[in-house]
Amino acid sequence: MKLLLMGMNHRSAPLEIRERMAVDDPVPPLRKLVSSDEIDEAVLISTCNRVEVVVLTREIESARHRLRSFFRRDLGDASLGERELDGCCYVHRESEAMRHVLRVASALDSMVVGEPQILGQAKEAYRTAVECGASGPILDRLFQRAFATAKRIRTDTRIAEGPTSVARVGVGLARQIFEDLSGKRALMIGAGEMIELALTALRKEGLESVCVANRTAERAAELAGRFDASAHGLDELPALLSDADVVLTSIGGSRPILTRELMQQALSARRSRPIFVIDIGVPRNADPAIDALEEVFRYDIDDLASLASANAEGRRQELVLAEAIVSEEQQRFEGWFVALRAVPTIRHLRSRVEEIRNRELERGLARLDLDDRSREGVEALTRSIVNKILHAPLSRLRREAEREEGMAYLELARMLFGLDDDETSDESSER
Amino acid sequence: MDALLLQLTALVYLAAGILAGAARVLSHGWLSRAAVVALGAGALLQGLKFSLLHTADSPPPLTDGPTAVSFMAWIGTVAFLALLWRFRLVGLVALVAPLSFIGVFYAALSPAAVAEAEVGAGSLPHAHVLLASAGLALLGISGMAGAAFLAEYSRLKRKRHLVGSPAWPSLEALDRVNALALALGFPLLTLGVVTGALWVRSLHGAPWTGSAHETWCLLAWLVYAVLVTLRFGLGQGARRSAQTALAGFAFAGFAVVGVELLL
Repeated sequence: MKLLLMGMNHRSAPLEIRERMAVDDPVPPLRKLVSSDEIDEAVLISTCNRVEVVVLTREIESARHRLRSFFRRDLGDASLGERELDGCCYVHRESEAMRHVLRVASALDSMVVGEPQILGQAKEAYRTAVECGASGPILDRLFQRAFATAKRIRTDTRIAEGPTSVARVGVGLARQIFEDLSGKRALMIGAGEMIELALTALRKEGLESVCVANRTAERAAELAGRFDASAHGLDELPALLSDADVVLTSIGGSRPILTRELMQQALSARRSRPIFVIDIGVPRNADPAIDALEEVFRYDIDDLASLASANAEGRRQELVLAEAIVSEEQQRFEGWFVALRAVPTIRHLRSRVEEIRNRELERGLARLDLDDRSREGVEALTRSIVNKILHAPLSRLRREAEREEGMAYLELARMLFGLDDDETSDESSER
Repeated sequence: MDALLLQLTALVYLAAGILAGAARVLSHGWLSRAAVVALGAGALLQGLKFSLLHTADSPPPLTDGPTAVSFMAWIGTVAFLALLWRFRLVGLVALVAPLSFIGVFYAALSPAAVAEAEVGAGSLPHAHVLLASAGLALLGISGMAGAAFLAEYSRLKRKRHLVGSPAWPSLEALDRVNALALALGFPLLTLGVVTGALWVRSLHGAPWTGSAHETWCLLAWLVYAVLVTLRFGLGQGARRSAQTALAGFAFAGFAVVGVELLL
């Protein structure tokens, strides 16, 4: 069994490609993926910054081909060429794949290093895979290890200090445009987790006037209620935009909602006041053409990424500590994963010995005239002898299997106990 | 003593500029604080130098070019320090300190001023130089804020990293400084032009002789009158105001200094 991971993120693929890969409902593609012969288990992580699939397979190359077609046909659109896809995707095998999953869950591979959202997103991706039957014992163990690693890093390092969310980076930018945010008006388009985080960050800055606009009015009202903001429908956008100073948008949809025409209409009522648009939607919610408007400052998720990487520089020391923790946890999982190769040999050996015990017990009992109680006693005795004899070699095999040279022990055990010989030769030799 | 104070002031302004530059490169907060302190110390020394002029037996005139430039640098520095805390302009010390240094250094290198008797016309020359220099100093701050605004605007539009610290002031703060300096500087410049005309009349019997200096200074005043109208009367936007403030100061600089040197 081998681990394989294929994906694209904010560093490997431009936003134009990532937004074509955005997955609204991961269940159908995930079910389709695990129904193929090459894939035994799979988890799909899809966020605004990454689309990744980690799978368990018996044959790496065929699984890789399967994942390529999965990205092209089941996630992306048909117009995405193979070369274009290959240029944007990365593939990690075995140890690399394990490490990558641990780093992703720990936010070390995030656009804003140390950001807290990715852990929740990874947990959600894992839960979805479990619920639709795509994840199995191996990926279960890998993701549990990843969550434990993330928790350990947050506890043992200061990686989560500083501006650790897109919202915080956005607030920092807003302060470069506006002198004081407290008197400004914010418009939040969408009502998801990112909007909630941004609202928290903006409230901390003392921003008092906040509007939430969303497709579903109930969700907008619920979020607005919690943050003492006003709730609106998307049809009110033109009026809301003409009043807003900071616009943060993260809402689903294949077409931009902040078009050039809409922004021009809003700007005409603003008397040259600047407007700062933070677009963290994937696909983008704000048309890049609005950059041409003089008073508009638009930043999308990729623009924020480059700013966030500058923040990470200041936490280089913490990054070293976090990477060391990842290495340690990776080693633990790898030990467990490698030890799994001993399982077939141990099972085979146990069943072979049990078979011999049963056969010899039957023969012996047939020659002896014993009552039921005595028969049970003899049976328990033979079982106990077998278990005691096997205990030490099996324990040793499990331990050794975790090491690189463990394979030699497994082969030796198979040879010594004749596990690769066929049953008939086995029986004839006994006679 | 005067010359020594002026040289010392130039040295302190230079130190402020170096500290502010180092603060930007090394991103050390204490360096930028030290730069502000040095700029304040320079302004105090220069203020002391000007106050000592009145204790002299025969006060030198302020009407010569180097003294006027030095006075302009002092007013500009003091006005900047007054605005610094209100608008968090620490990031601009790296621009202001070198300009203050150049103004004072130029005065320190220049020969001593001519006797006041040659200038004549009572206190009008002093009033003219003080008002016009103060007005130009404030309009200089307006132009500098405009230049900083345009640089920041361009950086934010191109989505580039902010390199070094302390951070530049926000666009909004720079626009407010631009507007405030224009609102204060233009009336002072107007008074400077009026007192200049009165001074000319006291010397020549008419407020206008048609000299190149008078013509260009009047043109500069007209340019600023248009800028003030655009900004406060017609609601000109922040970016256009920054551009016009920069262009206006370049024109005024040429009208006051360039014309004297070139024409």
